Order: sequence, then structure tokens, then C-alpha cells
Amino acid sequence: MPLLLKTHYKLARTAIKEHRTRSFLTCLGIAIGVASIILILSLMGSISNLVRSEISSLGNDIMVVRPNSTKDTVTSIVEELTSSYSFQKSNLTASDVNVIKQNEGVAAAAPIAVSVNTVGSEKNTLSSVPILGTNLDFIKIEPLPLRYGAFLSEKNEDKSVVLGHTLSLALFNTINSTVGKTVTIMGEKFMVVGVLDEINKSINFDNIDLDNALIMDIESLSQISGSTQIQQINIKTANTDGMAALSDNLTKTLIEQKHGDNNFTIAYGDAITHPASSLFNIISGMLTTVAAISLVVGGIGVMNIMLVSVAERNREIGIRKAVGASSRNILMQFLFESLILSFSGGIMGLVLGYILAFLLSTITPFNPFISWEIIAITLLTTIVIGVIFGIYPAIKAASRNPIESLKHYR
Amino acid sequence: MSENIIELKGLTKRYGYGDTESFALKDFDLTIKRGEFIMIMGPSGCGKTTLLDIIGLLDRATYGDYYLNGENVASISARRQARLRAKKIGFIFQNFNLIEDLPVIENVALPLVYTGHTKTSRLKHASSVLKRFNLEEKEYYLPYQLSGGQQQRVSIARAIVGSPEIILADEPTGNLDSRASFAVMEELKSIHDEGNTIIMVTHNPALTVYATRVIHMLDGQIDTDVKTVADANLPQPISVKIKKHKPEINLPGDEGKHKPKKRKKSRRKH
Repeated sequence: MPLLLKTHYKLARTAIKEHRTRSFLTCLGIAIGVASIILILSLMGSISNLVRSEISSLGNDIMVVRPNSTKDTVTSIVEELTSSYSFQKSNLTASDVNVIKQNEGVAAAAPIAVSVNTVGSEKNTLSSVPILGTNLDFIKIEPLPLRYGAFLSEKNEDKSVVLGHTLSLALFNTINSTVGKTVTIMGEKFMVVGVLDEINKSINFDNIDLDNALIMDIESLSQISGSTQIQQINIKTANTDGMAALSDNLTKTLIEQKHGDNNFTIAYGDAITHPASSLFNIISGMLTTVAAISLVVGGIGVMNIMLVSVAERNREIGIRKAVGASSRNILMQFLFESLILSFSGGIMGLVLGYILAFLLSTITPFNPFISWEIIAITLLTTIVIGVIFGIYPAIKAASRNPIESLKHYR
Repeated sequence: MSENIIELKGLTKRYGYGDTESFALKDFDLTIKRGEFIMIMGPSGCGKTTLLDIIGLLDRATYGDYYLNGENVASISARRQARLRAKKIGFIFQNFNLIEDLPVIENVALPLVYTGHTKTSRLKHASSVLKRFNLEEKEYYLPYQLSGGQQQRVSIARAIVGSPEIILADEPTGNLDSRASFAVMEELKSIHDEGNTIIMVTHNPALTVYATRVIHMLDGQIDTDVKTVADANLPQPISVKIKKHKPEINLPGDEGKHKPKKRKKSRRKH
């Protein structure tokens, strides 16, 4: 039997070689599907790797509180997409931050509130600048490299802002002499007290690109923009032991403070790395679905070409049966052919997908993420596709009546 | 091993039902002994090819029993029937039926694929058989590069490569000129001399000189069954029932030339 399997494999390979172009095109169909899945998975993996490396660089004493709201259903996501603010429905408040701060296990707690507004300087006016509203604890949790000036402090808490590297360039065309200058937001004047160094991490667990952002006190932010939604509360714990106990403790306190509202999640360790935005999840889910559809289309291509092959080789099937092939032999011969087609398509797609991911990594901050799980799952999928879409043509070939087949072309 | 290699009892093959019903074989009895060279003749549509297909395990009879080497074929699984086709039976077709994409040597080795030979042993066998047919220089030619006679010799090589007991030939000379026919018949004769049982369908009465027994069929039944060659070394057929059939209707497809003669002969015998 193993000998026969080897023979089937060789037969299938010769059959595929005889129709090089046709087989290549069929493989390409599978390859494109596999390549897009690889691309998406490797990018998703690289994003969580980026966030994970950030967390580990900050130390393992970070905890975050996030509203989990109603974003799990598709309708609320659509609602969210069509509204102007992305974090409108947060139920976290400034008093929650204060309650957290009072816990003795907490060293520092900073709210993250993001609002988008128009910012003007003496030179330029920029619309849709992300404004991060937070408090003085922010810098304790997440040390930011300052290029010039200082971070917000108790002395200059009001009416002062810190600019991101890129934003400073955009507003004043320079980063050198920005400190001390004035920016205008909603008619209010704010003084620039500091400029950040280039961070170049557009993906992080705060879900905000600090290079492009303007940082100010959360109270000032709520004054100029009416109300603010806290999308996340960052917490630095006093020590790294007992994270679970502290998390439970904080959960209890917060539920009490919010009168039974438990619509929030406290995450620490690896759980933080789960992409902060459900939008990201939805988009990657949709992309994967599209890629899976293209894989199915590729599979239909395999089936199509196998049906053509069975029809073309009708007489060969008859001859083989006449000289002693059983239906099972014929079935295996054709099944092997479709398996080889889809498997080599899978390998082609693997290579293609990683080449694309590397190309993409040269123009984006992503590093292509390769893991044996992704490779194994993809190749397994192509085998499954080869069997699913190859079994029908193979059964069709095997059930041919040899007498009818031999009459063909007679 | 029984002496009767093939026994057919009351074999009937029906196509269609009701109004479209027709019989390719009707209550057909035949016993074939090991080592016979049988030629089956008869007009088109008399059931010769169907008979050959049933003997070759490619088709099943509607009713009746077929004993191959004393074993009832109906009780053999489809998979074992396939193995029997590979080991015991060799097919030769009118249109050669070689696989166009495979070189000559692999075509010859084809039955060995299904009997568990390794690739080297397959090619060795095939090569030695091709040598016997003086085709050793053509091993890696593709079938279309050969003449008709050469192709038919390749297909005979394929039929005997697994050293089967029974060779079934369906008009092997039908597509060949007389010289090529002669060569093919000489090969078949030498295979027969080695002790193989050969059953051959033909339209050419001149070829019956090679046969040890000639069967004429008409409308799915045996018309005449004649022993031709008096070769003492060969086993002589005995238990062949010759069934009288209804008054014959002259069908347009009938071969008028030699048929009436033979029929008269048979009547005289009774």
C-alpha cells in the first residue's frame, strides 16, 4: 500500500507537469488566498508584538481600566463608526480615577481622554488634531522622552500643553524654539511647555499616536470641548505582586463607586496587548473573511481544473481500470493530484505572503511576524481544501464505467 | 486448479427495460479450457464484445453464473476483481488503447503498477517483454510515434507483462494492414504456444487458421462451435452445448458471405 501511494504521488506529479500553465494558474488561485491570509495574520501578530514589547519595556506593573461598553455587537460598531467621536460611550469618569488613586496598592493613575479639535498657531492652523487629556500621573506611568521643555507640572497645570514631535513641526515648522509659544484651541490660548522627542510608535496600548498629539490637562480639555470621555485609565501599581488581588479589589471598589455598573474591564500583563480597539478586531476579522473567501474561490478553481482533467482523461481511466486499477486506485490518483495542486499553491502563497509582508514592513512600522503555528495552520488548510474540492472530481473519475470510457474517441 | 478456466452458465445481458429491452447475450453457455485459442466471430451487435467484457470482469451479466477458475465471479468483491484483472487477464483492443502521455515502456508496465511492483522491477519486466517483440529501441517513444502494427505489439506486450492466464483480444487486427496483422497473429500464436488461453474476437475469417476453436455468435447466442485444428497436443473442447435457435432473420448488418456456409455445416452436424 505505501508503495502504491508513492506511485500515485508520482503519477499525479507527471500529470501536473504535463499541464504546466494550467496547473500553475490553479496554484496561483490558492496562493493568492493563502498569501492574503498570511499577510493579515503576520500583520496582526506584529501589532500585538509591538504593544507587548511596549508593555514589557514599561515594566510589568501596569494595569489598565477600559470600558467594555456595548461595542461587542455589530450595530454598535457601525454606530461608532458613523459618529464623530470614537469613544463616546465610555462610562469612566474623573471620580473613578480619584477612587482608584485612593487605593493603597496604586502608585499612580492617569485617565486617557482623546478629543479631536482644531489647533492654531501663529503660523499654521491644523484641523483634527488629536488632543490627549490626562493628568500629572501620566508621565509616571509611561516615561516620555522630552526633547525640549518639561512635562505638565503642578505649577503650570492650567493653560499649558505638550506637543508631539510631528505636531510641533506641523504647527511651527520647527521643534527648537517652540517652547514658550502659544497655541489657540477653541479661542482659548495655551502655552507650549514641552516638546516630545520622536517616539514613532503609532500603535501602542493608549491607542493614540503621541507624535501627532497635543497633551493637556484633562480638566482643561473638558472645559474647552464641553465634556470628555475617558477611554482608558492607566494604573501603575505599588508593587508587582498580587496583581490579581488588586484587580479584584479595584473592580469591587469601582462597581461600588459606579452604583453597580460593571461595564468595564481591568486588564494587566498580556491581556493589555489585546488590541485596544474593537474596530481593529472587526477590520482584521473582515479582512480574514475576504481572504478566506478568496481561498474558497481558489479551491473552486482546483475543483474546476480537476473536473476538466477527469473529463479529458476518460479513456486513460478506462485503460487503467481494464489493466487492473480498482476504483480506489483511480480515486487516490486524482485525489493526490488535487492535493498536490492545492498544497504547492499553499507553499507559493506562504512565500508570496511573507514577501509582501516584508515589503510592507519597509514602509510601515510593522515587523513581519513569523510563527510555525501560522505556517502549520495555513498548510493544513490547503490540504483540507485539496481534499474537499478534490474529492468530488476523484469520485467522479473512480465511478466511471470502464466500458463507456474505452468507447470514448473510438 | 480446474481444467475449465472459464465456465459460463445461462449468462444473460440485458440492456434497457420494457419497450427498449434488448439482449446482448441470451442464456449463453460456454466452457473454455486452459490453453484454448478461441476465435469468436459473428455480425456486429451479436454480443461478442459484451461477452469479452464480461469474461474480462469489466462488465457484469444480468443473470447467469460465471465461474473463473472454478470460483463464482458474483461472490468476488470489486476490489479483488480489479486485482484479478491485473494478474490473470490481459486485454488487447482494436484501437490499441495506449495512454498517449506515457512512453511505451510505462504503458507496458501499467498493469504492474497495480500488482505492487517497485518502479525498477516494473521497468525491468516491461523492458524484457519489449525485447521479445523487438521493440527495445522504442522504449521511450510515445505511442503516436509508432506505426499501428508496432502500437498493437506494444499493447500485446502490455497484456502479457503480468504473465496472465487469459488474453482477451477484441479485433486486434481490425485497424492493421495484412502484413502487420500477420506479425500480430504470429505473436499471439507464440503466446498461445506458451500455454496461455486466448479469446479473440475477429471479423476476418482468414485468421481462424490460428484458432483451436471457432465460435460463431448470432443474436446473443452461439450459432456454431467448431474445433478447427487437429493438434493432438492441445486439449480438445468437449462440453459445449450448441443451442438451436429460432429461424434466422436476415439482418442488414449481417455478413452475408461466409455466414450461410457455416450455418449449413452446423445443421449437417446435428
